[in-house]
Amino acid sequence: MEIKKINEQENTLEIKNLVIHYISDEEVVKAVNGVNIIIKAGKTLGLVGETGAGKTTTALSILNLVPEPQGKILSGEVLLEGRSVLSMSEHELEVMRGDKVAMIFQDPMTSLNPVHTVGHQIAESIEIHRKVSKHQALKQAKEMLELVGIPSERSNEYPYQFSGGMKQRVDIAIALACSPDLLIADEPTTALDVTIQAQVLKLINELRQKYHMSMLMITHDLGIVAEVCDEVSIAYAGRIIEHGTLEDIFDHMRHPYTKGLFGALPDIGVRRSELMPIKGLMPDPTNLPSGCPFHPRCDYVMEVCSQSLPENKWLSETHCVECHLYKDTNESML
Amino acid sequence: MDETVKKYTTRREFFKQYKKKSRLQETWNRFLRNKLAVIGLFIIVFIMLAAVAAPLIANYDTDAIRINVPDRLQSPSAKHIFGTDEVGRDIMARIVHGARISLVVGCAAIAVALFIGGALGAIAGYSGGKIDDVIMRCMDVFLCLPDVLLALAIVAAFGTNLVNLTVAIGLAFTPKFSRVVRSAVMTVRGVEYVEAARTIGATNTQIITNHVLINCFGPIMVQVTLYVASAILTIAALSFIGLGIQAPIPEWGNMLASGRVYMRDHAYIVMAPGLAIFLTILSLNLLGDGLRDALDPRLK
Repeated sequence: MEIKKINEQENTLEIKNLVIHYISDEEVVKAVNGVNIIIKAGKTLGLVGETGAGKTTTALSILNLVPEPQGKILSGEVLLEGRSVLSMSEHELEVMRGDKVAMIFQDPMTSLNPVHTVGHQIAESIEIHRKVSKHQALKQAKEMLELVGIPSERSNEYPYQFSGGMKQRVDIAIALACSPDLLIADEPTTALDVTIQAQVLKLINELRQKYHMSMLMITHDLGIVAEVCDEVSIAYAGRIIEHGTLEDIFDHMRHPYTKGLFGALPDIGVRRSELMPIKGLMPDPTNLPSGCPFHPRCDYVMEVCSQSLPENKWLSETHCVECHLYKDTNESML
Repeated sequence: MDETVKKYTTRREFFKQYKKKSRLQETWNRFLRNKLAVIGLFIIVFIMLAAVAAPLIANYDTDAIRINVPDRLQSPSAKHIFGTDEVGRDIMARIVHGARISLVVGCAAIAVALFIGGALGAIAGYSGGKIDDVIMRCMDVFLCLPDVLLALAIVAAFGTNLVNLTVAIGLAFTPKFSRVVRSAVMTVRGVEYVEAARTIGATNTQIITNHVLINCFGPIMVQVTLYVASAILTIAALSFIGLGIQAPIPEWGNMLASGRVYMRDHAYIVMAPGLAIFLTILSLNLLGDGLRDALDPRLK
């Protein structure tokens, strides 16, 4: 930590070669198998992948909240503004959570405490991190409510008196209450219908720009990625198999899995075209295939694919892929 | 629909009647629908009022304690509603003053049990793993013993006075509460808002008090009501065998014990304290059942 590279200071978050397994008596679930993620200050990274690709576990590791005692961080580093999260003391973590990093949850119906008023719940975070009186905290909580578009008079109402979209707004208000540097949004719109989705995304995006926050957007909706992200990482079986800017991924996708994801999207222009699903299913995380985890489902499978894990290949300054199809930066077999 | 709307001056007011009901009000309404529970509440409130107003009903020293042999074993009359006992004390006076002791010791004992058992249960349920195992196996050992027996052992070891009795009964009920609180805490522990509280940097203590315990309030309240009834019964049982409240202090259990010799000729002498115990336990149980139904959102 003494020698800090200049580019490291620009990175809000840096995850290096993270490996997290859930170990129980019967089996070992390999949730995260060497994830590398970098989020630059003020930028938004989209983490895209199927259910079980290790997205949420990766996100929880940033807060050092991987469920214990089964979840074990076996190796890797999580650097938040250059500081290692995994080696922080419990107290340091409590100071960091909510103040430096905040999280928006998937389901607003269950992530609010039913017995406290929403104002109280927003104020809780402010009270913990800022040295202010209860009264002052409640006042700030009301301002936060206004900020997310809820009249401040409703601050002494309970979560059950709010609709789903409004609860998600409250969730956002809680997350933003201490203006964190990094916002983790774990599928923030999955539980909402499409029109509310658009509103909530717009709100998140506006506030993020207003406060110059970095964001990690976890989702499996490529439409959301196109709307809010600067960069995209595609996760598969606990690894980042392709990473690049929006343009890199959407227009010059390289990995067969990424191509498969886009092939499975309906195209509004060509209504006749059939969707191309990726054959097979996600591998069982307790029993991952040898070599490249995607090889049993891959259309371009080669002998080497089942034998060794592909290395990370940089195709350009911003675009990298993990696939045996790409030997050198210039050569492409597709 | 239109006519119904007209009844309220504005549309807004029409909807207000649905909106403004708080959680508490809804629970209360559900409670009121249960007739037996309301009867239970009525009886227990009546007994509590009698206990509070005991000095107004009868003087403690002259009516409930002082021996007045010429008036002994009188049948119920206008002067002595429940008659007098074997040494001429007014049974009514002793019942209302006895209610004070039963209710206070019962509630205090349960408070002790709730405090110790609750803390242990919350720690066990929240931490899980080895801590949970150690605490709960210790509680299981105590749970094996019947609570009267356990309380009896403690009182016998430390002597019989009011404080020892309260603590003994409290300790006897501790394992029961640790189980109740533990299971309540465990259901709440995994809920997402607890996880959410962690992500904003709340400490374990803050999470337990602010988010976990407060959400377990319902089931705990129900158990408190039901166990206060058991505690009162335990006090009466201990007093009956002479290890609880000592004569001449009026207590329902020792009133039964001293009156049982005269039961054949003067049945009223045991009827009044028996009825008092019976009604108190019954009303608390009805109340507890009603509370459980009212607080259970699944039965909405």
